[in-house]
Amino acid sequence: MKILVTLKRIPNPDEPLKFTVGGLDYSSHKWVPNAFDEYAVEAALRLAEKVGAPDRLAEVIVLSICPQGQRQHLIQFLGMGADRAIVVDADEDALDTGTVAKAIAAVYKREGCDLLIAGKLSQDNEGNQIAQRVAGILGAPQACFAATVEWDRGQRALIVSREVDDGVEVKRIPLPAVVSVDLRIVLPTSVQNGATPANHAYKEGARLASLRGITLAKKKPFQVLSLGDLGLGGPANERAVAVKAPPARKAGQIVGSVDDLFDKLTKEAKVL
Amino acid sequence: MIAIGTPSALGAGEIARAAWARWGRVISARRSGAAPVDRGDQVMVSGAMSTASQGSDALFNPTEEHRLLRDMVAEFARREVDPQAAASDVKGALNLELFRRLGDLGLLGVTIPEQDGGAGLDAVAAVIIHHELSKYDPGFCLAYLAHSMLFVNNFYHCASAEQRARYLPRTISGEWVAGMGMTEPGAGTDVLAMTTTATRDGGSFVLNGTKTYITNGCEGYCFLVYAKVDGKITAFVVDRECAGFSTSNHIDKLGMRGSTMSELIFEDCRVPAANLLGAEGSGLAHMMRNLEIERLTLAAMSVGIADRCLELMVRHAEERRAFQQPINRFGQIQRYIGEAYAMTEAAKCLTYNVARDVGPAQRNRIGSDAAKLFAAPVGKTVADYAMQVMGGAGYCREYPVERLWRDAKLLEIGGGTIEAHQKNITKDLTRAAAR
Ligand SMILES: Cc1cc2nc3c(=O)[nH]c(=O)nc-3n(C[C@H](O)[C@H](O)[C@H](O)COP(=O)(O)OP(=O)(O)OC[C@H]3O[C@@H](n4cnc5c(N)ncnc54)[C@H](O)[C@@H]3O)c2cc1C
Repeated sequence: MKILVTLKRIPNPDEPLKFTVGGLDYSSHKWVPNAFDEYAVEAALRLAEKVGAPDRLAEVIVLSICPQGQRQHLIQFLGMGADRAIVVDADEDALDTGTVAKAIAAVYKREGCDLLIAGKLSQDNEGNQIAQRVAGILGAPQACFAATVEWDRGQRALIVSREVDDGVEVKRIPLPAVVSVDLRIVLPTSVQNGATPANHAYKEGARLASLRGITLAKKKPFQVLSLGDLGLGGPANERAVAVKAPPARKAGQIVGSVDDLFDKLTKEAKVL
Repeated sequence: MIAIGTPSALGAGEIARAAWARWGRVISARRSGAAPVDRGDQVMVSGAMSTASQGSDALFNPTEEHRLLRDMVAEFARREVDPQAAASDVKGALNLELFRRLGDLGLLGVTIPEQDGGAGLDAVAAVIIHHELSKYDPGFCLAYLAHSMLFVNNFYHCASAEQRARYLPRTISGEWVAGMGMTEPGAGTDVLAMTTTATRDGGSFVLNGTKTYITNGCEGYCFLVYAKVDGKITAFVVDRECAGFSTSNHIDKLGMRGSTMSELIFEDCRVPAANLLGAEGSGLAHMMRNLEIERLTLAAMSVGIADRCLELMVRHAEERRAFQQPINRFGQIQRYIGEAYAMTEAAKCLTYNVARDVGPAQRNRIGSDAAKLFAAPVGKTVADYAMQVMGGAGYCREYPVERLWRDAKLLEIGGGTIEAHQKNITKDLTRAAAR
């Protein structure tokens, strides 16, 4: 079993945005991994390991499309326990979503993977397209926004629950497949692989890379591919033309009394 | 930087909320068009606290491994250390379960070579860990220091292969808590005046005497102990199994309450000769070597306290209003903040700079004494400024400042008093000048 996990680095969402004319200036931002992708790696590692034993049920490969000099996030995930990393050497901010999806699908095929796990969206542009598009290209079954995943190893299938507006939808999909994960995938018992005891409670959240993991990470295989290696590189179908700050909100007013408030709501705002 | 939705033991709802609280901000900022606020010359907390420029990043995070280590420890400290700090302080107890997590994360053997089960990192890495842990719980960090610096690091450099094989795996994993006994009721600064003795008797040594103020004394399984053999300081490893060894009750204290201390009592205590560390009479050299990394990491703890107190006071001074304006508009408050920042940065730079020249292969007493002499009062002063800026809120238990203020004082005493550092520095400089 080979699990491919996609990772995007994004400008630190805790830092304020800098708007330039028609765009955003990220030059002074710290780059951090997209949090949903951290959850995706955590889900993959939980599927692949048997807690309390050295057995590995799957190989976890992390994949990121990122330029030279911005690859530290991959070391962090190798430190958490992923087996190896593949980088597609390109600035994905300059690629259209279609190309990103094609590149991921190409790596998936090249490696002969059985499962792709992606974060449900990227925190910077909230695209929520990659998993679906890759599934489309591969013609593979997909389950998006997974809150829990259970691996039926005997039947080579996944049972995925998704929290939808009115309740929980449970889906069964055969492998090979594509799954995108929601926050809840990192709750203590969200991932079941039939090997780790079902009542084993993980610590909430993505695991920390141990110091041993960090020192070992550098020795793990790290392959760099170009778009050309994947047979890609044609012109983009779409491009961002502008990013504009929404109009500034008007300042609020502080009123002296409930009567004033009532007066303003009826006469000025006309909502009462 | 790591996970968003990871508050402790909460349901999915809380996770989701935490996540939204963190990145929803950015998204709502975009949607509401709250373009980055022009804050003029005000301090931007996160920007100012983090290492702003590439030059200083090379000092604080010299390699990729150091940076990853810092991120990992900082995340661990926020997620797991911070939430328990206030309760451990009230109890005056070491959180053993959390201590074992340090073992899971591989932090207990940070300076031990990889082939011996450690991480094979340097004094800068040790400084990073103490710096980040002390932002949230210096008391817990002191237990970490006593274990991994005073025992594990010290022991490694004076132990034989057999001794390493017996003690390292279980101290690096955290199964055994460890400590170091140097100070005695009658000998602190004047350490050479120690009176604990060891006499050879067939296949063992017989120890008599008392050590006091020993961090991890209550929970510890094994201790590196200094005793005199024929008047010469000699190091031993003593464990709970040794007949005639006991520890006193917990000695209660003002701060650093996330760790415990007790006396170590040796009454005709029989220690196998196999537990002699290095040669008879070589203890002083081991002690002096290890005091360097001890003082350096204690300095790093002060830096952590100062960093956190600065962050808390900056935030409070912006949020707290008096006379119709945030109190950070008042010059007297700005003086506290400005001076605290400058002092903290200076202490941080000195500590990390000295860390580059501390290691098993070189002696640097003057550097480590200088770092601690400078950093210890900075931690204390910045905690005091933070309390002053926060007024009653700073004095009350609701905020961590009063705890950090109590913790900060220890760094002027433990691992050598500031007077001892002044004395050592003068001696070292005078000796160098005479050469
Ligand atoms: C919380 C805590 C944890 C500790 N943990 C450990 C531990 O794990 N292991 C361990 O071995 N020890 C430990 N200690 C002991 C610590 O190292 C000593 O307290 C310290 O070395 C000072 O010794 P003392 O307390 O005996 O003070 P003293 O040496 O009695 O000093 C009293 C005062 O006299 C001053 N003084 C002494 N000599 C001189 C001089 N020559 N010139 C000028 N002034 C002088 C001192 O600076 C100080 O102001 C711990 C102490 C504390 C408080």
